[in-house]
Amino acid sequence: MPTSPDDPGPTAGAGPGPGPVAGPVPAPGPVPVAGPGPDAASGRGSDSASGPGSGAGSASGAGPVSGSASGAGPVSGSASGPAPEPERGPGPASGRGPAGPAPGTGPVPVAGPGPGPGPVHVPLGVSPGRPAGRFRASGSRVRHLAAHVLIALWLLLALLAAGVQQTLPVARWLAVHLFLLGGAGTAILVWSEHFAVALLHAPPPGRRASDARLAGFTAAVTGVLAGVWADVPVLTGAACALLVAVVTAHLVMLVRLGRGALGGRLAPVVPYYRAAAVALIAGAVLGWLLATGGAGPQRYAGLRLAHLHVTLLGWIGLPVLGTLFMLWPTVLGVRMADRTARVARRAFLLTACGLPVAVAALAAGVRPAAVAGLACYTAGVALAVGLFARTPRKQRPVSPAAVWMLAASVAWLCAAVAADLVLLALRPPDEAGDAVAALVPVLLAGFVGQVLIGALTYLLPVVLGAGPADRAALRAVLERGWTWRLAVLNTGVALAALPLPAPAATTGALLAAAAGTAFLALAAPVLVRAARTVLGDLRAGDDPAGRARRAARRPALWGTAAGAALVLLGALVANSGGDNGGTDLATGTGTGAAAVTRTVDVTLGDMRIRPARVEVARGTALTLRITNADDQRHDLKVEGGPATPLLAPGGRRTLDLGRITSDRTAYCTLPGHRAAGMTLDITVGAASGDGSGDGSAHTGHTTAGTTPDLSADFSGTWRPRAAELAPAPEGTVHRVELRARRTRAEVAPGTVQERWTFGGTAPGPTLRGRVGDVFEITLVNDDTMGHGIDFHAGALAPDRPMRTLDPGERLTYRFRAERAGAWLYHCSTAPMLQHLANGMYGAVVVDPPGLAEADREYLLVSSELYLGTPGGTAQVAKLREHAPDAWMFNGVAAQYAHRPLTARAGERARFWVVAAGPADGVAFHLVGTVFDTVYKEGAYLLRPGDPGGSQALDLAPAQGGFVETVFPEAGHYSFVDHDMRHAESGAHGTVEVTGR
Amino acid sequence: MNPVGVWSLVRFVHVAGAALWVGGQLALSLIVLPLARHLLADADKDRFTERAGRRFGMLTGTVFLPAQLATGWALAWHRGVTWASLAEPGYGRTLAAKLGLFALVMLAAAGHGLAHARGRPALARALAVVSLTGSLGVVLLATALPAS
Repeated sequence: MPTSPDDPGPTAGAGPGPGPVAGPVPAPGPVPVAGPGPDAASGRGSDSASGPGSGAGSASGAGPVSGSASGAGPVSGSASGPAPEPERGPGPASGRGPAGPAPGTGPVPVAGPGPGPGPVHVPLGVSPGRPAGRFRASGSRVRHLAAHVLIALWLLLALLAAGVQQTLPVARWLAVHLFLLGGAGTAILVWSEHFAVALLHAPPPGRRASDARLAGFTAAVTGVLAGVWADVPVLTGAACALLVAVVTAHLVMLVRLGRGALGGRLAPVVPYYRAAAVALIAGAVLGWLLATGGAGPQRYAGLRLAHLHVTLLGWIGLPVLGTLFMLWPTVLGVRMADRTARVARRAFLLTACGLPVAVAALAAGVRPAAVAGLACYTAGVALAVGLFARTPRKQRPVSPAAVWMLAASVAWLCAAVAADLVLLALRPPDEAGDAVAALVPVLLAGFVGQVLIGALTYLLPVVLGAGPADRAALRAVLERGWTWRLAVLNTGVALAALPLPAPAATTGALLAAAAGTAFLALAAPVLVRAARTVLGDLRAGDDPAGRARRAARRPALWGTAAGAALVLLGALVANSGGDNGGTDLATGTGTGAAAVTRTVDVTLGDMRIRPARVEVARGTALTLRITNADDQRHDLKVEGGPATPLLAPGGRRTLDLGRITSDRTAYCTLPGHRAAGMTLDITVGAASGDGSGDGSAHTGHTTAGTTPDLSADFSGTWRPRAAELAPAPEGTVHRVELRARRTRAEVAPGTVQERWTFGGTAPGPTLRGRVGDVFEITLVNDDTMGHGIDFHAGALAPDRPMRTLDPGERLTYRFRAERAGAWLYHCSTAPMLQHLANGMYGAVVVDPPGLAEADREYLLVSSELYLGTPGGTAQVAKLREHAPDAWMFNGVAAQYAHRPLTARAGERARFWVVAAGPADGVAFHLVGTVFDTVYKEGAYLLRPGDPGGSQALDLAPAQGGFVETVFPEAGHYSFVDHDMRHAESGAHGTVEVTGR
Repeated sequence: MNPVGVWSLVRFVHVAGAALWVGGQLALSLIVLPLARHLLADADKDRFTERAGRRFGMLTGTVFLPAQLATGWALAWHRGVTWASLAEPGYGRTLAAKLGLFALVMLAAAGHGLAHARGRPALARALAVVSLTGSLGVVLLATALPAS
């Protein structure tokens, strides 16, 4: 074999050592090439590949690498026909060292004899320098078998979890991670080690260490899944740490392999595997942050995107891409292009440099850098795909099933990466987050699932088959119905990927799952059959005593497994549907008749539970009426108490918590949501048990502050809100940026209150235009909770423009003011009662055509004031009971009583009024005047020429209009909400009219 | 209520019965039978195993099972468990799971006896281990039930 360094042979490094050789073997003329029999790999093939050189190599038997081709089973390709059973007899070329012809351990993709006469062999993975023999062969097959049984089990569990994802909260997360981390992760761990050994022509790492890594990986994945499933952060953290340790060990192994190894032609592929390991380490850390709350609500979206990218494109994408450099020509059965190594190196540079940039930028929320990094990655992928696309094809590839599936999966990868790039580049960050997350199923089924199926279709027979005939038989099984499966899978992915109605996506998911299940159904008998052969081999070479020992142990093992499965099933049944823990719902005892009952409305959304705190008197029987107001699914579980099932957007559920005797916590069980802030504290307040939770607003709530003293002075720094309304600005397009944020404001003399605002003031900025003008409002959510906006002045479908923006999101809301009026705008996020009451409202004035000039124009927005922590129990109770602390014009109680508006006698004054509520309207009256013009809700009720007059403009909540009057003489004219309860509690002001 | 009353006695019988049954299985499978296999001649060993198994089976059928069923029933009645409440998440469902697992354990134990009698030692052994593991699971589920 020409693999020993000093014996290069004619293949110039590309020899059939355990490397993927594909390459440029100068085809030795007189080699019998027998076409692409997929299983013909053989010593003979390698022989021919290496030509005379191999003869020399083998003769000496000195090469550390041996002609694995022979044994290594997996050869494919082209190797030619007349191969004698490689494992059994030393092929002429298989100089395998002292121990004779080891059946190789690995798949030997051969990039075979292209159309030209040169058969090439790519033995992948052998155990160079090791004693070989049937036992060792079996040993390696046993390990591959075990690993693939494990992979198949992960995939099966993933399918099961996907099947129940509608009913179990964590199931979707679980399905994705069972599939990607369990199934795909195990496959990558096993195969990257295998291929690295082969490609580097390196001696394989210690078996024990490999086994330990696989076992550690399995344990870590199980721990992560169980930790998140059962919401045990300690377990999740420990398992993540173990995962990082195992993958670091894997990385160290890959780096060590490279040291002093001979290095094959395709050694440049190995860095892909190393980078993948680094990516998983980063992905695990990010995942841990997300799952256990290190992320915090602000960074959640960014870190989640970073996690998605680093795991899907790094841990899975990179090794797949790297492996394809050798696998693609192999399954095609053609020779590898000369420039493969060069392209592999370049593509690696691009992808491995681009991805970390993209991931770091996504985590930090720097979008341009993320786009640049991703573009770099995309370029790398494109480079590789370009090479694959130009690889010559043969009439009959070695494995048509593998070829088509690999091709389709790469196509999906390209589509997904391109779509990802476009979405990240063009959509606003948080919108892009959702859109990118929607690509995950496509990558999952189309790319990862399909590449697994395609690669395993080719590779499984290679590593599990006992000989060419066996391999052919196994492959025949795995390829059964492949055209149908290919079509079904890709149709399914396409249906799920395209923006079609929900039933299409569901059908797509079912089709993809059916295709996956079909492959598993085919793989199971293959694994069973391989297991039988391997066990048979083992038995044959075993001593009777050992056999007896194992036989004696087996029933106990089976019994333990069956028993453990039963117990697990029992525990799952017991835990299903939540837990009532200490409450006594299953019994007749418990709730006393005297218990005070209280029902609290709870909304879930924007990574928050509102209210975030519920205070009840000890012994209160508490019922939570839960509404999922978000556009994603949530649930609510009371710790040590009942839980809702997963609620779809808009879903409702009532939870009976029974009597509350101690503080409780409730939270959303979806992975990461609790950590991101979806918690609700139920605290026991005064132990009166007399229903103080329902008590009057002014006595029961110490946190709510006291009724403000309206006659007191405002603080020195306070400035009133200008009531004067400027004319509509020129131009027909009005662009405004509104930033939703929290601020503190003096809302009544000496009373400072936290306000939720548009643009830092409540009411928000007033917008004014004429009929036909276009308003283009950019809403930016600078708050830590979700907000939205609803302009009553525009007519459009609320779905998108009025949706809730997550913190940091921005949205452009564009409407044309088709009709005149005094309009309200307000926050559209539930509970609107709270958002409105805490200040998120404003006015839009659209002048009626032909609006006459007035000397003075004022705008007054009426509303109520509820003191207390916004969203807090006390304030919410006041809101629900309609017990305002004051009424206000323009967001401050009695402000124009302290700082009167000004006018001159004889001037025509126009008062625009909008009632913002949230509960009360307004009866606007200007003491000492008669209105000669009333314009209400888009229509003149009274004009100056009319004989009648008007005394009050009555507006229900969210109505608007204006009134006009002429001040007859100098004096102090009070304006009030003529509901005197309102007027005396802040809804009044003064116009100071001076002489002409 | 007295610290030790009638109901605590009932509960005692229930818990002690479970402890004895699970403990007995553990002692048999982890200590007695392995020792017997080591120390006794083949003929004695088989006889001993069979006798030990039969005796434990008798004890199970005549004392343990009736006692568990009776006390379990009584405790459930005392706690106000109804058939409908068994389906409710939380206490009811945990109890239902425990009962289901217990029934399976009993089936496995019966199967163990049958398999032994029919001369299928491997199956008998597997079923014995199923029964042991399962009864540990029953104990696990029992500890998950809040004290009543």
